[in-house]
Amino acid sequence: MSKYKLEQPGNQNEKLQLLYNKFKQKIESYPVGVCPLTVQMSLLQTSKNQTCGKCVPCRDGLVQLEKLLQEIIDGNGTKNTLRELKVLAEYIRDNADCAIGYEPADSMLKGMELFKEEYLNHIIMHVCGEEIQQKVPCIAMCPSHVDIPGYLALIGEEDYAGAVNLIRKENPFPTACAMICEHPCEEHCRRSMIDSPLNIRGLKKFAVDQMAADLVPVPEVNVATGRKIAVVGGGPSGMTAAYFLALMGHKVIIYEENVKLGGMLRYGIPNYRFPKDRLDEDIRAILSTGNIDVKYNVTVGKEIAIQELYDNYDAVYIAIGAQAAKKLSLEGTNSSNVFSAVDMLRGVGYGNLPDYSGKRVVVIGGGNVAMDCARTAIRCKAEEVTIVYRRRQEDMTALATEVEGAIREGVELVTLQAPLRIEADDSGTCTALWIQPQIIGTYDRNGRPRPVNAKKSPNKIPCDIILIAIGQDIESEPFEQFGIPVDGNCFITTNQCEVKVKPGIFAGGDCVTGPATVIKAVGAGKTAAYAIDEYLGYHHKIISEVRIPDARPNHRMPTGRVNFTEREARVRKLDFLPVENEMSFEEAMQETSRCLRCDHYGCGVLEGGRD
Amino acid sequence: MVAVYWKEAEIKVVNISIDGVMIQVKEGSSILKAAELSGRKIPTLCYLEGVSDIGSCRLCVVEVEGMEQLVTSCNTKVMEGMAIQTESGKVIQARKMALNLILSNHEYDCNHCAKNGDCQLQSYSLEYGVTESTYSGTRRNIHSQDVDSHPFLSYNPKLCIQCQRCVNTCLKVAGRRAITSGKAGTFTVINAPFGNEWKSTICESCGNCARACPTGALMVKRRKDYESWEVKKVLTTCAHCGTGCQYSLIIKDNKIVDTKAEQGPANKGRLCVKGRSGSFDFVHSKERLQYPLIKNKITGEFERASWEEALNMVATKFMEIKKNYGPDALAGFACSRSPNEDVYLMQKLVRTCFGTNNIDNCARVCHSASVTGLSMTLGSGAMTNPIQDITSDVDCILLVGANPEEAHPVIGMQIRNAVEKGARLIVVDPRDIGLSKQADIHLKLKPGTNVAFTNGMMHQILEEGLEDKEFIKTRTEGFDVLAEIVKEYTPERVGKICHIEPEKLKEAARMYATAKKAPIIYCLGVTEHSTGTEGVMSISNLAMMVGKLGRAGCGVNPLRGQNNVQGACDMGAMPGDYPGYQKVNHPAVREKFEKAWGVSLNPEPGLRSTDVFPAAIEGNIKGLFIYGEDPVVSDPDTKHVIKALESLDFLVVEELFMTETAKLADVILPGRSYAEKEGTFTNTERRVQRVRKAVELDHETRLDTDILIDLMNRMGYPQPQVCASEIMEEIALVTPSYGGISHERLDAGETLQWPCTDKEHPGTPIMHAGRFTRGLGWFFPSEYKTSAELPDDEYPFIMMTGRILAHYNTRAMTGKTPGLMEIEGTSFIEINHQDAKALGIINGDKVMVTSRRGTIKTTARVSNKVSKSECWMPFHFPDGNPNWITNAALDEYARIPEYKVTAVKIMKEE
Repeated sequence: MSKYKLEQPGNQNEKLQLLYNKFKQKIESYPVGVCPLTVQMSLLQTSKNQTCGKCVPCRDGLVQLEKLLQEIIDGNGTKNTLRELKVLAEYIRDNADCAIGYEPADSMLKGMELFKEEYLNHIIMHVCGEEIQQKVPCIAMCPSHVDIPGYLALIGEEDYAGAVNLIRKENPFPTACAMICEHPCEEHCRRSMIDSPLNIRGLKKFAVDQMAADLVPVPEVNVATGRKIAVVGGGPSGMTAAYFLALMGHKVIIYEENVKLGGMLRYGIPNYRFPKDRLDEDIRAILSTGNIDVKYNVTVGKEIAIQELYDNYDAVYIAIGAQAAKKLSLEGTNSSNVFSAVDMLRGVGYGNLPDYSGKRVVVIGGGNVAMDCARTAIRCKAEEVTIVYRRRQEDMTALATEVEGAIREGVELVTLQAPLRIEADDSGTCTALWIQPQIIGTYDRNGRPRPVNAKKSPNKIPCDIILIAIGQDIESEPFEQFGIPVDGNCFITTNQCEVKVKPGIFAGGDCVTGPATVIKAVGAGKTAAYAIDEYLGYHHKIISEVRIPDARPNHRMPTGRVNFTEREARVRKLDFLPVENEMSFEEAMQETSRCLRCDHYGCGVLEGGRD
Repeated sequence: MVAVYWKEAEIKVVNISIDGVMIQVKEGSSILKAAELSGRKIPTLCYLEGVSDIGSCRLCVVEVEGMEQLVTSCNTKVMEGMAIQTESGKVIQARKMALNLILSNHEYDCNHCAKNGDCQLQSYSLEYGVTESTYSGTRRNIHSQDVDSHPFLSYNPKLCIQCQRCVNTCLKVAGRRAITSGKAGTFTVINAPFGNEWKSTICESCGNCARACPTGALMVKRRKDYESWEVKKVLTTCAHCGTGCQYSLIIKDNKIVDTKAEQGPANKGRLCVKGRSGSFDFVHSKERLQYPLIKNKITGEFERASWEEALNMVATKFMEIKKNYGPDALAGFACSRSPNEDVYLMQKLVRTCFGTNNIDNCARVCHSASVTGLSMTLGSGAMTNPIQDITSDVDCILLVGANPEEAHPVIGMQIRNAVEKGARLIVVDPRDIGLSKQADIHLKLKPGTNVAFTNGMMHQILEEGLEDKEFIKTRTEGFDVLAEIVKEYTPERVGKICHIEPEKLKEAARMYATAKKAPIIYCLGVTEHSTGTEGVMSISNLAMMVGKLGRAGCGVNPLRGQNNVQGACDMGAMPGDYPGYQKVNHPAVREKFEKAWGVSLNPEPGLRSTDVFPAAIEGNIKGLFIYGEDPVVSDPDTKHVIKALESLDFLVVEELFMTETAKLADVILPGRSYAEKEGTFTNTERRVQRVRKAVELDHETRLDTDILIDLMNRMGYPQPQVCASEIMEEIALVTPSYGGISHERLDAGETLQWPCTDKEHPGTPIMHAGRFTRGLGWFFPSEYKTSAELPDDEYPFIMMTGRILAHYNTRAMTGKTPGLMEIEGTSFIEINHQDAKALGIINGDKVMVTSRRGTIKTTARVSNKVSKSECWMPFHFPDGNPNWITNAALDEYARIPEYKVTAVKIMKEE
C-alpha cells in the first residue's frame, strides 16, 4: 500500500470538527454571572484535554493544577493550596514546550490576579462572592437591562405597543436602539448553543416599525414633587434622565446647545442609518411626559455658568457627551479642506450637505465615525473615498457590518498605513496625504496589536478633502473650573453617577465613559435619574403595567437566524434613505419563536426573577 | 579568560557564557552539548543522543538571560551571545517540580525493582532530593497490567515515565516502529508489543527499546536476574552473523547472564534478538561436551577418554594414514565461527603436519563464490566498503539476493534507517522480503537468473549511455568482450528469463546508474548457485561499468554469513590460499611460508570441502579433521555427506556439542566457545575486532589453540606453546594485509580494517580507491546459464533455502535459547497460495517435500511471499531439514553448491 491516502468523508477529523463547532457555540454562549473559578476550570480542563501527552509540565502538570483548583472550588482549599497552585502554574508557564501547556498556565496566573478576591472568598468563606450568580444573559448584558425576553414574547403575540412600553420601562429610546444599538444583548444569547443568537435589535426594529414609539402613550406621570432638576445636554443620556425624572414627578429643564434635541443621534449619525424623523418619534414620546422644558441654543459654561445651575436647581445632571474632535498632530493639518469628522457630520445633521462632486476624499480612522464619514462622503457624490487606517481591517473598532457596508458602497480601505503628512498647494489647499506603511506588531495592554513602522518608503494618496475621524474628546474645561474632577478628559463619578465633591451634581454618558454607545448613555441616564431621586430623599417608582406573555416550550429545532437585508449598494449610495430593509411579519414571527425564554427556563425564575 | 573548546577555520563558532564562563562552541550545537564541553553535567531523562531530543521530560531546562521561559538544553541551539545558567535557583526548582510530577505516575518501590541502582530516574531523584511525589498521578488508575508474554521482553506501565526513548529507538535505531505511543493526552501510554499477541506483531524482539529505557519499565527479562553491583562486563564481539556487533557480556558468578550493546563501528549500539538474547545460553548449556570421547569400534558407543589418550590417538591415526596413503589422503575443515588465531593454527596444522592443502572452511558453501569471483575481477574477495558508509549517506541501495533483516539484522536496521532518511531501494529477490515493502522497485526474479538480470542491467546502461566511460577506460580491462555479450540481453529477453517486467528492469538500471552514491549489497541469493561465481563477477561488472567502486557510498558488498567467515578465509583456511590470499601455487610465496614455518610445503592446491565428500566416497580421502563444522546439517544432500563421512577411515571432530557430524566421529575433542577465549573475529567489512574471555567453566574442555598445538607437536611439528596474541603476531608477520594488526592496537581502542600493512597503517575502510588490488578491474564476460536442476513435470517447484531472524545456521547455538525456540521452533515451507490451492493445501498443513534425493516432512505456510511454482524453506530445523533433499551441484570456479535451486514436488501428508 502506498504511503499516502486520501481522507474519506466522515473521517475522524471531520467528525471531531462537529464537536469543535459545538464547543465553539458553548463558549460563545457561556452564561454571564458564573463563578470565574469555574470558567478557569473549564479552560484548564480544555487545555488538559488538548495535551498531546509529550511533556511533563503539560501532561502531568495540568492534571495536578486541575486538582488543586478543584480543591479550592470545592471549598477545601487553603492559602497553601493557593500558593501551590501558583508555584505549579508558574512552573508550567515557564517550562511547558508548546502553547497548549504554557498558555493555560499563564491564563491561570492572570485569572488568579484578576479574580484575587474571588479566590480569597472561596478560601476563606468557601463560597462564591455575593455578585456571582447567573442571570438572564440578554438582560444582564444590556447596559439598560431591558426585559428582552418579555418584549420578544410580546412581539410574538403581535402586541407591539406592549413591546414598546416594556422597552421604555428601562429605555426611552426604543427607536434609536432599534436602528443603531450595538446589541451586546446578543453576545451571550443561549440560543447560540443550538444555532445562533436571536436578532434582538432586528425584532425591536420590527416592533417600532409596526408601532411608532410616539403613538404609544407613556406611563402615567407622578404628581408634581416641586423639585427642579437641570439636565445639561439633550442627547440620549440627558433625555433618558429627563424622562425618568419627569415620570417621577420632578420638573426637568434641559439645556441644549443646538437647535434640536438628540445630541449625537441627530448630529453624528447620518440619516441612512437613522432617519431623523424616526429620532423625533422617541423624542416626542419623551417630551410627552409634560414635565420637561428645553432651553435651546444655550451652552452651559458659556451663556450660563454651571455655578448658577448648581445654585438654582435641586440637582444637576451633566450629560454633555464627547463633542470635540481629536486633533491629529500632523504636518499640514491646517491646510484648507482638512476637516474633522465630527464637524462634517454635524453640518450634515444641520442639513448642510457638502457637495463633493468630482472630489477625492480621504478619511483617516477606523471607527464607526470614520465609516459614517466615508459613507456620507459617497452620498455627497465624492468621486473617490479612501479610508486610511494604521492597523488591519480586523482591528478596526467600527462594527464589521459598517465596514462591509462602506466597502460595498465603493469606499477603498487602505490599511496598515499611518498618516505621515498632508501636502498642500501654494494656496494652502490640501492636495495629498502621505502615508507610512506599517507592520502589525505585539499586543498592547488592551489586547490590540500595535502598528509599527515597516520602514518601507512612504506612499502618496492625492486628494482634495481630508476628514479626520480619530476620536472625540469632552469639552470639559468649564466644568473642571467649576470643580468637577477629571481623569483623562472624562468626569469622575461613582457608579451612581454622583460627582462626589459636589453633592447634587451628577454626570453620565460619553462625558464620563468617553465616546461609547447609545445604550450605555441610556443606561447612565437612567441610573442618574434614580440616583437623583434617592439624593432628593425619594424612592419613586415608575409604574408600567405590561403583562408578559407566558413562556411557550422551547422551540429546539435548529433554525437559521433572520438577518436584515439591505438595499443594493449601487442604489442606496445615491441617497440618504435607510440602508436596511424592513423585516417581514413571517421573518419576525419565526425569529421570536427561537427565543428560549431564559426569564422562565433555567435560572431566570430563581429568587423571583433575575436580570 | 576565554576557554576554546571547539575551533576550526571553516566552521562558524558562537560565543556564549555558561554559568558565567565564556566559551566558544560550534554553531548549531545544542546547549546540552555546549554545557558538556564546558564540563557541566545537565540531567536528562528523555534525551538519547542522536535518537531522541523531543524535550519532554523538561529535566534539562536551563535559564537563558533575557528569556522569560526556561529552555530545554537538549534541543535548543546555542546562539551568539547567549548567557546560560545551568544551575540557578529557578532551574533547580523547575527540575524538582519536573521530578515531582514524573514521580506522580511512577511506582517508586525501588527496592523491589531490578533496575535499582541502575535507574536514571532513581539517580536524579536522589540527586535532587525528590524521592516521593507530593502529587498523585491520574495515570496510575488507567494503567493496565504488566505486559510480559514475550519470552525476552516485558513492560511494566507502573514504572513508565512516557519519555518516548523506546518509541524513538524502535523508530530511528531499529527502523521498525513496532513500539508506539498509545492512547493520547494525559492518558498517554506505551503500546509494548510484548502481550499475548506478541507473535503477530512486527516486533523483531531486538530489545533495543528496553536498553533505551531510563527506568525499569521496559526490561530485557534477564535483567531481573541480577543487581547492577553484582556483575562485571567484558567487551567482546558477537558470535552470530558477520556484522560484528560490539557488545559486553554481563557476568555474575562466572556465568553470563546478559548482554549490553556497545557503540561498535558496525552496530552503533544496536543488537538483534540473537545477539542480545541468544548468544550465550549455549556457553553454559548442559549439552556441552565436557571431556574427550573415543568411539568404541565394537559397540559403536562413545566412551570417555583422557586428553592424553585422545590426542595420542588422533596424532597417531592421522600420521598412519599419511604414511600409508600420502598426505593428500588427509583433509581438514576449519571453523568459521572460531577466532582468527584458532583458524590460523588449524590451517598451519593441516599444511605442516598433514602436509596437504586440503584445508577449507564453510565459506565454501556460502560465500566462496564471492571470494573467488571478486578475487578474479577486483583482486580481493571481500566487502569493498564499510557498513556505515553504505547505509548512512547513500542515494540508492541495490540489494540483490539478500535479506539482511533476517540474516544480518543490525545491517537490516541500518538499511531501513537509510531508506527512512530518503535513500532509494531496489530489491532484487524472488521473495517478498521485509525490505521489499520499502523498496522503490522490487524485481521478484526467478531463482537462478542473476546473470541474466545483471547482464540486462548493463545492457540498458549501455543502451542509454549511462556507463562511466572514463572509469572504464582508465581502471578496467575486458570491456569490449563484455559489451558484446550484453548486447543480446535486451530487457524484453531478460524479462522473459527472470520473470520480471522489462520496464522495471530499465528503471532499476537508470536508478542505479544515475545515483551519485549507490552500493550493491548482496548475499547468498547471488552466490549459492551452480553459476554463483559468475553471478558475483557479473555484479562486479555492473558496479565497474558505472564507476561505483573505490569510493564512498558505493562498492560491491557481500554480506558474510558467519561471525568469522571473512577471517577464516583471510587466515588461509582455503585449499589454494595461504593466509592473506597468498597463492599456494606461487613458488615465492610457498618459499616464504616454508621459511616461516620451517618445513617444506605441498605445492599442489588442495580439495575444496565440497569436493572432499565425493573424494572420500571414492576412497581418496581417508582421514578428516573437522574443527567446529557440521556438514551433515549444513551441506547439501545430507545422505551423500553421511555416506562420505562413513567412508572415511578416521574422522576427528573438535566441537562444543554432539552435532550430527560429531556423532559420526571416531574421536571428539571438546573445545571452548568464544566466551571462554581470547582472539579476534574479522567481520564482513574486513574489520578485525577483539574476542575476550568472559568466563572459565568447570569442564575438562581445553582451549582450541592448545589442542591444536599439542596435536602439532604430537604429529612431529615443533609448534611452541603460544597464546592468542602471540599467534596474531605470527599472522601479522606472514600476512601482509594483517601486517599492522595486533591485539595491543585493538585493545588500545583502534578499529582496523584490512589491508593494514604496518603498525602505523590506519586500516582501509574503502578498498580499490584509485587502483584495484588486481591492478585493472576485469570485466568477466558471463553468459546466463540455467540452474543445474530445473523443474519438470515430476518435480514442478523450485525450492530455495535460507535463514530466519531467530536462528543462526545449524541452530547449535541459538537452539539452546528457549526463547528463540519459542519465537520460531519448527521447520516450515513457504508456498504460493495459488499452488497451495491447486494442491489442496491450507496454511498449517503437514506436507511432504520430495526431490530426486529424498523426502522430508514439514509444515506449509501459504502466502504470496514466494511466486507461483516456487517455494522456500529455512535450513535451521532438524524436523524437516531441506538439506536432505538439496542438490550438491557445484559451481565451476568456487565449487559452491546450488542451495537456492532444487526441483521438488510437494504433497499434502495423508
